[in-house]
Amino acid sequence: MQSKETLNEGLKRAYTITIPASEIEARVDSEVKKIAPQVRMPGFRPGKVPANLVRKMHGEALMQDALNASIQDGIQKTISDNNLRPAIQPDVSLQDGYEAGKDATLDMSLEVLPDVQAPALDGFNLERLTVEPTDVEIEEALSRLAENQKNFEPAAKSYKAKDGDMVIIDFEGKVDGVPFDGGKGEAMAVQIGSGQLIPGFEDQLVGVKANDEKMLNVTFPKDYGNDDLAGKDATFDIVVGEVRKPAEVVVNDDFAKSLGLESEEQLRGLIKGQLEQELNGLTRTHMKRQLLDQLAGSHDFDVPPTMVEAEFDQIWQQLQAEAAKEEDSETALKEMEDEKDEYRDIAVRRVRLGLLLSAIGQDNGVDVSQNEMNMLIQQAAGRYPQEQRQQFMQYMQQDPMAAAQLRAPLYEDKVVDFLFDKADVTERTVTREEIEAAIEAEPEADDAKKKPAAKKKAPAKKAAAKDAEDDKADKPSAKKAPAKKAAAAKADADDAAKPAKKAPAKKAAAKKADEQDADADDKPAAKKAPAKKPAAKKAPAKK
Amino acid sequence: MAKAKSEIDTRHYDVIVAPHITEKSTLLSENNAVVFKVAGSSTKPQIKAAVEALFDVKVLRVNTMVQKGKTKRWKGQPYRRSDVKKAVVTLAEGQSIDVTTGV
Repeated sequence: MQSKETLNEGLKRAYTITIPASEIEARVDSEVKKIAPQVRMPGFRPGKVPANLVRKMHGEALMQDALNASIQDGIQKTISDNNLRPAIQPDVSLQDGYEAGKDATLDMSLEVLPDVQAPALDGFNLERLTVEPTDVEIEEALSRLAENQKNFEPAAKSYKAKDGDMVIIDFEGKVDGVPFDGGKGEAMAVQIGSGQLIPGFEDQLVGVKANDEKMLNVTFPKDYGNDDLAGKDATFDIVVGEVRKPAEVVVNDDFAKSLGLESEEQLRGLIKGQLEQELNGLTRTHMKRQLLDQLAGSHDFDVPPTMVEAEFDQIWQQLQAEAAKEEDSETALKEMEDEKDEYRDIAVRRVRLGLLLSAIGQDNGVDVSQNEMNMLIQQAAGRYPQEQRQQFMQYMQQDPMAAAQLRAPLYEDKVVDFLFDKADVTERTVTREEIEAAIEAEPEADDAKKKPAAKKKAPAKKAAAKDAEDDKADKPSAKKAPAKKAAAAKADADDAAKPAKKAPAKKAAAKKADEQDADADDKPAAKKAPAKKPAAKKAPAKK
Repeated sequence: MAKAKSEIDTRHYDVIVAPHITEKSTLLSENNAVVFKVAGSSTKPQIKAAVEALFDVKVLRVNTMVQKGKTKRWKGQPYRRSDVKKAVVTLAEGQSIDVTTGV
């Protein structure tokens, strides 16, 4: 086998590889020898078929296999001979006019990973902004929780229902005096003002008393789910069974007990813990942002364009999905187009950071142990329904790519932790508003640095995009993990490169949910239900 | 091979039914012999003529045998599998027939 370099430009490499026919032939022979003892043919005892007959029968297929194997070998040999670290799956094509018995000529082109010098690990100046949850916030969280737990208690018979009350009614709906399917119900609880029913229905219930009978005139909306009814006028004969009014929920021991806790004290403790966790998340995000900014600022090297492209595509898709959800999707899309270059910069930055972090992790022996991996898988499996868990675990074990995806965020976290240890950290206590502002503001400043004449557009949106970035530093790291393998074991190089390329695409599909969840852990949990645990317990309590 | 020669009598094709490829027949190739399934009504001279015409070889001798069909039962009813006539054709020194490529 001979290989010749035809292109060496930046990170791109191209080679022409020639595989002599004799090499392929030898492979076929050895393959025939290997399978001959297993071949079954009528007229022969199993395994007694002569080699030349086997060759005649299966020659074609064996030839194909041998050719493929030789090609794979050739590629790998070229890669290891030239000390390449492929960033992507090499693009290989067989030159035209190949026939059995002739020399095979291949064109191979690939992109290599840049040589990342593990950066100096000291000298990071980080600021740890710590926030203590204030009593006010705890109170707020508690009252929010209480709000969700609102109880209704029966009101006096003479009480007239008003907005916010709950009315229990029996009803029968008619269109043109004829009852329609599904238009009848008994003891239905309607909360006035909740807007769950057809417009106008709830409004007309205001003022009813227990045991009242009433006829409601409503018009079904045009976009009503049932075509027969949409846009029609209807009457509902209702009988009011009971009027209930909301009871004030006081946060006390009893309330805590209804949530399955022992005392108010404990409830407060839990909520405080949650807030702290949330704030710690914020602190961490802020520190990570600082760290990454410093890393990105002090390093500049070429990154493989394909990886950037993949990353960019992913960002783009996400943005498009978001834009599609927005009311004014046209404008949003246009805005996106305008800022395309900016997003590309973000993609470059992500890829670069991913490579950098992996280089650091590798040089300093940061590794994810099997135990941690198992825990991770367990956690991820927990998100699936019971019956699918086993399946999921199996999938994880079988598919190294999926496992690598799961592993990447953890690996990155560990590297970041490692760097935190090394860095000079100054402590400062701030308020929640300050830290949130810091997280929002910094990327803005960062942008400004990158683009002197920063376009001042929808700052909130840009910040959001940037915000996502830090979490998404995970993503390059998904590639990073396989890339690391590539360096560690050249023999695996090919396998490793494959996940590297596919990872983003795959993530975009099935694993997206996973990834996002994983990210969410990193993210300032602002969007998460503030009182998640009690909320979870609330469900059983209600029953 | 044979297809090119249009003058080959079609009756030769009726004589030779199929090559008989088994472990035993491959072993016979050491003695420069090939085994065919032939039509039940064919004779040794006919077989010799057919093989020489179809494969363009020199035949030294032909030995034949009739393998009687086994008696089998299906739903209790006995029936007989067809008899098969086989011919072991010995070729002249240095000649061979590739049995796997048909005519």
